[in-house]
Amino acid sequence: MRSHGDWVSLEGIATSLLDGSPIAIAITVFIAFGLPVLLHLLFYRTVASPPSSNFLLLGPNGAGKTALLTLLEAKSSPARTDIRVTHTSQTSTAATISLPASVPTASNRYRSVNDTSLKDIAKNPVKYRLMDTPGHGKLRESQAISQLLSMSASKDAKSKLRGVLYMVDTAVLANPEILRDTANYLYDVLLILQRRALSGGKKAASGVPVLVAANKQDLFTALPPGSVREKLEDEISRLRSSRSKNLLDASVDAGLADGEDDILGSSDPHDRFSFQSLKDEVGIVVDVVGGAVMGDEESNLGSGVRKWEEWIGQCL
Amino acid sequence: MLESFEILDTSGVVLWSKSYAPVGAHVVNSLISDVFIEEKAQIQGPNSTSPTFRKEKYTLKWKRVKEFNLIFVAVYQSILQLGWIDKLLDNIATLYIDLYKDQLRSTRARIVQYPFDKYFDQQVRELEGSSGFVASESSVANAFDKKDPLVSSDNGGPPPPSVSSLIKAQQQAALGGVVTSDEGTPPQTPEISRSTTPVAGHILTAKLGPGGRMSRRGRKATNSSANASSGDEKGRKDKTPKSGKKMRRWDADGFADEDDGRVLDYSAPADAEGAQVPAVEAVSEDSWGRRTGKGQFVLKDLGDEVHSILENAESEKSKGAASSGLVGSGFNAIGGLLRNIVGGKVLTEADLEKPLKTMEDHLLKKNVAREAAVRLCDGVKRELVGKKTANFQSVDAALRLAMESSLRKILTPTSSLDLLREIDAVTSPTTKQATPRPYVISIVGVNGVGKSTNLGKICYFLLQNNYRVLIAACDTFRSGAVEQLRVHARNLKELSQRETAGEVELYEKGYGKDAANVAKDAVEYGAANKFDVVLIDTAGRRHNDQRLMSSLEKFAKFAQPDKIFMVGEALVGTDSVMQARNFNQAFGTGRNLDGFIISKCDTVGDMVGTLVSMVHATGIPIVFLGVGQHYGDLRGLSVPWAVNLLMK
Repeated sequence: MRSHGDWVSLEGIATSLLDGSPIAIAITVFIAFGLPVLLHLLFYRTVASPPSSNFLLLGPNGAGKTALLTLLEAKSSPARTDIRVTHTSQTSTAATISLPASVPTASNRYRSVNDTSLKDIAKNPVKYRLMDTPGHGKLRESQAISQLLSMSASKDAKSKLRGVLYMVDTAVLANPEILRDTANYLYDVLLILQRRALSGGKKAASGVPVLVAANKQDLFTALPPGSVREKLEDEISRLRSSRSKNLLDASVDAGLADGEDDILGSSDPHDRFSFQSLKDEVGIVVDVVGGAVMGDEESNLGSGVRKWEEWIGQCL
Repeated sequence: MLESFEILDTSGVVLWSKSYAPVGAHVVNSLISDVFIEEKAQIQGPNSTSPTFRKEKYTLKWKRVKEFNLIFVAVYQSILQLGWIDKLLDNIATLYIDLYKDQLRSTRARIVQYPFDKYFDQQVRELEGSSGFVASESSVANAFDKKDPLVSSDNGGPPPPSVSSLIKAQQQAALGGVVTSDEGTPPQTPEISRSTTPVAGHILTAKLGPGGRMSRRGRKATNSSANASSGDEKGRKDKTPKSGKKMRRWDADGFADEDDGRVLDYSAPADAEGAQVPAVEAVSEDSWGRRTGKGQFVLKDLGDEVHSILENAESEKSKGAASSGLVGSGFNAIGGLLRNIVGGKVLTEADLEKPLKTMEDHLLKKNVAREAAVRLCDGVKRELVGKKTANFQSVDAALRLAMESSLRKILTPTSSLDLLREIDAVTSPTTKQATPRPYVISIVGVNGVGKSTNLGKICYFLLQNNYRVLIAACDTFRSGAVEQLRVHARNLKELSQRETAGEVELYEKGYGKDAANVAKDAVEYGAANKFDVVLIDTAGRRHNDQRLMSSLEKFAKFAQPDKIFMVGEALVGTDSVMQARNFNQAFGTGRNLDGFIISKCDTVGDMVGTLVSMVHATGIPIVFLGVGQHYGDLRGLSVPWAVNLLMK
């Protein structure tokens, strides 16, 4: 029996590995400790796990969706940056945003402000993903609505939709054309959420909450949130009655229709629609909260969106 | 002059911008929505130039970089002819991407600051200059440098515009220094140290400006010069003795002989004093030249960097074009085949040529007009060239997806088409200012496409929604047209009575009258009798008959219709584009069609290409489809349905 392997034949290698030579021990040690580290670097460093709470940012063109996203993004980045100018979006984007520590989340809303555990949150803030969508009429269907459908339908916890932020430009909402467009889009969004809630059966309690973010409150012509709520409810009531009487799509004949005949809210189209009744009947909570993306003072960046962040916090 | 320059990504965030004059955000917004989203205005310049777009008094030129989803937009006043904008866009795009490609790829691309101003300024100055009076400041300076270091230091080298008076003063001081050196009272050392002073001054101004990299270089330059002149501090300290020396010079005028002797000495001691002084001079002159080359002209240095980046990009491009060696092409072919299956292939025009041809033929078979098909394919090509296919995605699949999405984009209307809602808004307005009036819809089209039939269908649809409808027979030309409508009206009246729906009435004035006047009277009659909707039927006309088409303008002015729908039949092929276009322009400036009704859709099966052709020609949405012979056979357009049929 050879005491040392010759590193040539298979048996030789096996022998030298098993006879306790320093090389063999070194190799073993290296593999035993190096492999887990290597695997960790490979899987956990390259792909940072995305936060599991998703929010979708919807609304008509020019409401301030992209501006809000960039503002929140700038706020959550460690280095203070200036706010970027934005233009009409063509593609949807997602960004990971950390909730400021001062905003309470649903899980710790009963805690005292002096609770020491809140300090930990300040160090490791709650993160969520906010998805911005283009609001232009031609891109809504293909990017925003389809995104909403896929996110609300997904069973995967990773891409589960926690809430929808619907941006409204309150400064121009008095214009009937714009009001109609805004309400129309909101109607579509709510209808999808309603369909999801109703088809969910017993799990209907987990209806996706909707925040109607009444943006541009800093402008002179802006309507107050209460008035925005009223106007949207009125317009949706009218939409409901006209939608229920409208023509069928061409796809009905081709057998592609998917039960489009349901309407938002109560089944009688002549009832007045209100967000309250939607909550009672379907379980979708709609809040109208005012705020302003732009126009806050230099000192505290994004003070106008504080209320919306609180709403997001309550959804987490 | 350039008004503003913006670099934005497709999600709408402006990454970097520079504006010389305030330009409203709506200018760029309208560029995005009109050109990129709605593809209304597709103005292609000649091959090499960038496309342009006009809005108000501005002209916009842009360049897209698909790899990074960036759009570079230059805005300038339309009255100016700026030939260098194309070059600027190209150069800026190359520079920006080269400088920031890592940041752009990262997830924080939208937050990161891009200190791009200096590069942009340099480019603008250079391009503006090259078209203007000076060839290029930096090159001029370069030439000076090479000629003689002394001369260049005398001229100070045309410094960039931000040179303050302080530096000028320093230069004068330097001049003084040179003068003294001519007289040569002291040996060379003070002169050397003085010569560094302006250099340091230049560097300091550069530091005040853009900062960053340059200043680091500048510092390096001063450090390298320090060995010769023991730093700029000493130079500055020397300032005070310098003025003293000047005084001494004036004083020393009396000792002219001595001075002359010294000057003569100046050349002589260089030989006589031996190795020491010449050695110092040699070193100093060397570093001096280097200093003036580097330190004095910091912006020229930036120009060098910029030029090297641009040259690299250029050479890479040419390399990419040239690399078609035997081995290379063979390897590429195999790789390309593999990539075709595995995906992750960067698409080139050559890859797309054949599939696009197939796609075009497919569209033509679906009765899409040739013009529209070509434009669609071009659009898809533009979108795909330079893109990477996804994993396990073949070129065909990628093309198909792109085509589907572009068809969907075309067919989807910009705003929702809820006709009932709009009628309600007019007939029973919510605001107090507006008085209720009838909603006027008029229907136009070529002969025999089914105007009256579709009018009957729309009327039936409105009646079911309990509206009071007035049909106006404004076809005063073709015999039997009024009688035809009378039959429709009678049938619809009977149907509505049976279903206790709305009411319908026919307004007719016989034949031979002016259609526009009849329409006007009908609207007045409708308003007086509290009708909700007035439907106006018009005579069919050939779209290329100027005489008949011109009467439409008067018609639109008299009747003031809320909606003008054009009926087009699904059977028509290539002509649909011209039909749509001519009718769209027939109503005079400021008035266009509001929608299409495509009739006879049941007769073409899946060849519904007319839908695409008509929308493509005008950008006006399709409101209704006629799908049968009965009153109820009217449908709204379902975009997924249409796209499905077209791609089948």
